[in-house]
Amino acid sequence: MTTNFSGAPGSQSFRNILIQLLVEAQNSDGGWGYHRAGQSATEPTAWTLCALHNEDRGPALSKQISLGKDWLLRNQLGDGSWPSFASQTEGCWVTSLACLALHEIAGESDAVMLGFEWLCHTWPRTPNFWQRLRQRLSQSGVVSRQNNSLAGWPWTNSTGSWVEPTSYTLILMRRLAPKHLSRLALKRKELAEAMLCDRMCPGGGWNSGNPLVYGVPGEPLVGPTVWALLALRESAELPQVRASLQWLEKSMPQIHGSVSVAIAHMCLEAYGRHIPGMDSHLQARFETDRFLNNISVTALAALELNPVRNFFSPAAQEVAAL
Amino acid sequence: MNSPNTALSPSFARPPSRVAIRRAASYDVDLLPILRETLREFDLPLQGKSVLLKVNFVCHDPFGAISTHPAVVVAAREAFLSLGAASVTIADGPGLERDIEAIAESMRLRDFIPSLSTSLVDLNTDDVHPVALKTRASTLKKLYLPATVLGADLVVSMPKMKTHHWSGVTLSLKNMFGIVPGSCYGWPKNILHWAGIANSILDINSAVRPHFAIVDGITGMEGNGPIQGTPKSCGLLILGNDPVAVDATCARVMGLRPERIDYLRRAGLLLGHLHEEKILQIGEKPEQVQTSFAVLDDFRHLSMGLKPNGNGTPLATS
Repeated sequence: MTTNFSGAPGSQSFRNILIQLLVEAQNSDGGWGYHRAGQSATEPTAWTLCALHNEDRGPALSKQISLGKDWLLRNQLGDGSWPSFASQTEGCWVTSLACLALHEIAGESDAVMLGFEWLCHTWPRTPNFWQRLRQRLSQSGVVSRQNNSLAGWPWTNSTGSWVEPTSYTLILMRRLAPKHLSRLALKRKELAEAMLCDRMCPGGGWNSGNPLVYGVPGEPLVGPTVWALLALRESAELPQVRASLQWLEKSMPQIHGSVSVAIAHMCLEAYGRHIPGMDSHLQARFETDRFLNNISVTALAALELNPVRNFFSPAAQEVAAL
Repeated sequence: MNSPNTALSPSFARPPSRVAIRRAASYDVDLLPILRETLREFDLPLQGKSVLLKVNFVCHDPFGAISTHPAVVVAAREAFLSLGAASVTIADGPGLERDIEAIAESMRLRDFIPSLSTSLVDLNTDDVHPVALKTRASTLKKLYLPATVLGADLVVSMPKMKTHHWSGVTLSLKNMFGIVPGSCYGWPKNILHWAGIANSILDINSAVRPHFAIVDGITGMEGNGPIQGTPKSCGLLILGNDPVAVDATCARVMGLRPERIDYLRRAGLLLGHLHEEKILQIGEKPEQVQTSFAVLDDFRHLSMGLKPNGNGTPLATS
């Protein structure tokens, strides 16, 4: 098995292997676990549905897609949200991913709009007076410098805003028709985009913590940087986007984890930057450890290898010239 | 998970705990005989048991100062297997970096363990089961925890010896934050911060109290830990059958007062022994290997006030 670049026969056959793995890993309840035979979970189910749907193979995958879609619909909670696992009763960050997958398959259905409504009314928690006072009185200096009034989305209820869940919801908003964005939704979008810009690490990129702690800049991470860049794809003129894109592009040679390689490449392609050899790099990683048998990683890799994907589609020319 | 070791009981009802301090100058030393012989002294019931090494893989760590060093992890794995364990799984659920494979690569874990897919479990994406918390230090009441952890016969907490900018120190009790799955709670596991770090440490360890702890103190971290601090060479491995006693001993070695570390003091009430008179030391004595870890100003009150290079000479007592 050899590969060279997206769309080449070698890449196609590698993608076929990944798709076959995903098909075989579907649970009898229609969902996918993080690992083969693992409990069905919303995140791997959502990414796998996106990967399979983007294959555009007509009836060949329609049964799997339909069963997966039914699993998502069955596990939507009464308030419109989704939990991580079917046995849970409280919705969380995966709601935006479930909405994205269902929207990809069937457009703006009731389930998607109910989930989106839940997201619009889910606000992050902010530090109270005493917590702010304690931070201000810290003897070690300014703990972190970020504007907590810029609300994004939390990972779980009653917690703070974080880059990744905020980005997932903004990506969903970008895919919805403008007529579905209420005044509240538009307000949330504006705040969330400002929050992402505020949270950028000094010098570009985003991380999963605070961008600056006790005056020391945090190191950006690939995952949050990719999702934030995809969320801000329509705001390519922002200096934060340019700086972060530059960081990601420079970091590519040092990125080794399979999922990081896949999503970073997908992101750069969405900005019109094509890096040769990435697909074979991904295949080499698969041959070493089979992506640690992780279904979400397998699905994102299959999506990345698909040159005609609709989801995070590659741009024909460079966006946000550096 | 039902051995008496896991039970919550007040300090007066517990037998004394044992903690071993062993010297290991660097990661190039053959660590296997050190760990195997020390583990033998604890006479753990390992025959045919499944062991889970809950390591501390934090983020990219090319210089080996942030995460549990692979040399220590592999030596522990080999030691448990040679003493009769049926299986040894290496596991963590990193709190910031989702890509555990990228962390493993940055640490060159593959140089030590060729097949990661069969030896390493990402607790962030494991199957989960609800666990009612046995204590109410926080308001959490229930957590979904990884099936791999809940199914292990013996859980071994394997942290790095570090200071921590929110909790003072991060050792074997704080290391258990990593069993809380990101799939349910995110990256970071922000729910634990809002519930209070100290409170969450107590509740998590009450639910899954590690049976044993092995602390990588060969190179630790001081100052603005757990990521942005300064590497600190100590040349030590600290092991024991009581995570509270191990952490208290580590704190003493770091020149810090364990009774002033909020969560450790409270853990001493129900989870293990804090006081020296209840800890039987094996190998080196803490005062023989004591050094002084720099702490942020917010944690100055923890310090014993040793000279920067320690060795038991107090500058001041307060």
